[in-house]
Amino acid sequence: MMTSPLAGLVLAGIGAPLVLLVVLGGASVLNRPLGERWTGPLAASMLTLSCAALLAALVVHGATSAGARLLSYGARSGGGDGGIALELLVDPLSLAFAALSAAIAGVVSAFSNRYLHREPGYSRYFVLLAMFVTGMLFVALAGNVEVLFIGWEFVGLSSALLVAFFHERPAPVSNALRVFSVYRISDAAMLSAAVLLRHAAGTDSLALLFGGAGAASAVALTQGNATLIAVLLIVAVAGKSALLPFSGWLPRAMEGPTPSSAVYYGSLSIHAGCFLLLRSAPLLAHAPAAALLAGALGGATAVFAGLTTRVQSDVKSSLAYASLTQVGLIIAEIACGWTTLAFVHMVGHACFRLLQFLSAPNVLHDLHGMEDAIGDRPARSGGLLETLAPESVRRRLFLAVLERGFLDSILERAVVQPFERTARRLTSLDRWLCGAPMSAGQPMAFEAESRDD
Amino acid sequence: MTDPRAWIGLLIALPLASAVASYLPLTLDRLRRLMVISAAAMLAAALVVAVSPPLRAFSVRTDVLGWASGAEALVRIDALSAVLLPFAAGLWLLTVAVTPRAALDRAQLRRTAVATLVTLAAFLTESAVALLVLWLASIWTFLSALGDPSHRHQRRIAAAYLGFSTLLFALGVVLLIGPGARSARLEALGVWLLAGAALVRKGIVPFHAWVPEVFDHGRLGPAILFSAPQLGAYVTVVLIVPHASAGLLRLIALLALGTAVYGAALALVQASARRACGYLFISQSALVMAGLDCTSERALTGGLVLWLSAGLAFAGLARCVLVLEARRGRLDLTTFHGGYARMPVLAISFLAMGLACTGFPGTLGFVGQELLVDGAVEAFPVLGFAVVLASALTGLAVLRMYFSLFCGRAETLAHAGLRLGLARREAWTFAALVFALVGFGVLPHPLVDSRIAASDDILRARSLRLPAEATPGFRPPPAGDGGQTEAGSAGARDRELDGRQPVMTHQRRTEGVEAPRGQSATMRALRVAPPDRPARNGWRPAMPARRLWHDPDSRLSSRHG
Repeated sequence: MMTSPLAGLVLAGIGAPLVLLVVLGGASVLNRPLGERWTGPLAASMLTLSCAALLAALVVHGATSAGARLLSYGARSGGGDGGIALELLVDPLSLAFAALSAAIAGVVSAFSNRYLHREPGYSRYFVLLAMFVTGMLFVALAGNVEVLFIGWEFVGLSSALLVAFFHERPAPVSNALRVFSVYRISDAAMLSAAVLLRHAAGTDSLALLFGGAGAASAVALTQGNATLIAVLLIVAVAGKSALLPFSGWLPRAMEGPTPSSAVYYGSLSIHAGCFLLLRSAPLLAHAPAAALLAGALGGATAVFAGLTTRVQSDVKSSLAYASLTQVGLIIAEIACGWTTLAFVHMVGHACFRLLQFLSAPNVLHDLHGMEDAIGDRPARSGGLLETLAPESVRRRLFLAVLERGFLDSILERAVVQPFERTARRLTSLDRWLCGAPMSAGQPMAFEAESRDD
Repeated sequence: MTDPRAWIGLLIALPLASAVASYLPLTLDRLRRLMVISAAAMLAAALVVAVSPPLRAFSVRTDVLGWASGAEALVRIDALSAVLLPFAAGLWLLTVAVTPRAALDRAQLRRTAVATLVTLAAFLTESAVALLVLWLASIWTFLSALGDPSHRHQRRIAAAYLGFSTLLFALGVVLLIGPGARSARLEALGVWLLAGAALVRKGIVPFHAWVPEVFDHGRLGPAILFSAPQLGAYVTVVLIVPHASAGLLRLIALLALGTAVYGAALALVQASARRACGYLFISQSALVMAGLDCTSERALTGGLVLWLSAGLAFAGLARCVLVLEARRGRLDLTTFHGGYARMPVLAISFLAMGLACTGFPGTLGFVGQELLVDGAVEAFPVLGFAVVLASALTGLAVLRMYFSLFCGRAETLAHAGLRLGLARREAWTFAALVFALVGFGVLPHPLVDSRIAASDDILRARSLRLPAEATPGFRPPPAGDGGQTEAGSAGARDRELDGRQPVMTHQRRTEGVEAPRGQSATMRALRVAPPDRPARNGWRPAMPARRLWHDPDSRLSSRHG
């Protein structure tokens, strides 16, 4: 129940995008989508309200208390007449990230209002943006694993549907399904970690688990359980933040409109995993093997993405891999225990990359302007790294990163094809049991369409 | 009207009158309108019954059809059935409101009323013999829908499987009310036979092959109405769980967990939308079965919630496919069909109901799966994670279907002159279903409370019959009570409770006291503290405590049987 100004401000901060989602989503279900005249201002006002409330909450929290506070809404009254327990963990870290999320979403909303003017999917875009902001705020402020999982799922689904925003073409839709398939692995890992945590530690409170140094031992996790839970969280983070070996979905996600690419893969969604791992720092400290795994994944991803971004032929893919390079570094910093550096790095990178993504559609225009101004082509920068490697290594490396590490084909051969073969055989067996002849079956939809592309 | 018999009469009269009206010389449109009104009235009446405590405690008992352990309720409304009545009515309303005009005929409409009547009657009884008769009636109604020559093969397959299940059911009932009444071994054999019947009916692997075949090449509408209420789940709850050994329940739960993954995995690779629906049904049905048989209070509650959410969401999803087929013909998932812009409500409804099937947050399915996965992992620490895997695969299968059926193409694969949008009746029905799934997902408390009460009743019945195999965390009422809600024993139990800890040991955390292991926030959040009992030693009894203390009396005061 709301007992303090802080609780009220946080509720307003998280409630505003939720109201936006309910209003825009409800209107869509009733086939009465709000027009541009209402949608844009409504989104702007709700996101501004959210950002202002969260900033005010940050100030109030700083003025009134120093530690973390668990706010619970809805289900704690003695009469038991509550609903779902919305438990939010409020500390400077979570409030700052939540305020940043609302602010960035507000900027993107204002940009999108013009960018998607008269686009047929204008209303759908804002429904998904509202779902995304709600999910991000849930992830940022989650006080228990249920709230975290709700936010995690909201972010994942809205991301996949925005990748398929231009759904009259087959390629975005095929790619969205690929993206979603990795997200489902991530979601399954997250849910498994949550259930395991609940059964191993007897709690689902993130306040106890991620609340501060030594908190992991306070919930009586054994070393084995702590490691297993941490590894599952790392898998979840790897899926959501496109760490190796799941990096293959990132360029596919660039099919969405530029503002959504900016907010998802430039600034917020891709950092959601980093933030989760940042909150899990006490758990990682309790599970050194998992911390080592996170560090190795982060480092390997940074190197891989740093090389791949140099050979991309389109600006959005290049920016996405550049973004991934920094995400890998942030993960490595968290694994090393440099949490403050990681947080500052994350915030700075999110803002900087957002700006880069949003200006990406203008890059040629800007370049022409620069050429006109200086009267020549700008001097080529970089290239030092390339000169350090021998020619034969350079060539092989070039081919490898041009194919984005062959990650897609490896996953295709190692996972998708065996799964599909087995499932088709079982389908044939079921048909045979009902008197139909055995057959090889047909390819899955996205495969068939991908070939057409 | 506080007489439960009047309400039961009304609930039965509405589909019965509709079935009779189908013989009158009404046009098809008028007949459909009549049935929509009847179904809506039935839904309203069932909701009144579900939310009125005096109407929820009614039974007519007889020992004529029962076996040795006591009188059975031939007709009853209790915590379990009270919510199943609006569920059955809602499925009927959905069926008659969105059946495409092309698939509409007089006999089909009549069958929907008869099938609803049979389902309603089944949900109102716990007599094994009555359930056998209704089981047979529902199968007969379904098979009669496959009577035309083009469906002869599917009819034969369904008849073989369902006939086998009926045979098992009948043998089980005979053993239970005959010699099994005196022999524990024969009673156990009878329960195994009943379990076999339920497994076949619910399409649990290895008895599943008929389901996708009937969905794929049979008539989709009758298949939905036959499968969505999940009569097999009802038989499991009423006849199997209270009597089966823990070993049998664990075996069923393991089969069901495997089936949930199997169905979801195969739904992902199907070329036919109908067949994918069949596998999705197998998966959803298996998840419900797993919850009912995990021998954990939490899993049982999750199974009961999932029964409703999966039933409604799956029925809605499959109806969307049916509506889409009426506009485009047979739907192939190996290509993109497009058409989102021409039928956005149908596309959004399809996606929302598919997400409810996967347990997406904000829908009722999330609540059910949250409870189920907790309970399943409690019962099976490793294999319980199959629920998570099944949910992940179902989500992928649903999104693949959505993309294939509504996206990927600028112009839909249909003649440009065709009117693809939904009729107002269809659009409102789908929207209402989506709002119901989301509404109960956001505010699940009343529904989950009632399901917890139902799961307590089931576990109490089980602990009374099989005290040696009582569910951990659940203690039966004191000896001598005999499990009967008779006036003397219930009053004695109530008095006895005054002086000791409540019967339920599934306790909830209060401030300053650590929660029991494995308890989710959702469960804690959904608790209901007993209104007139203070917490003892910082612990509070579980939600159903209020009911456990007071329900026997309230039942007795309003019993008319």
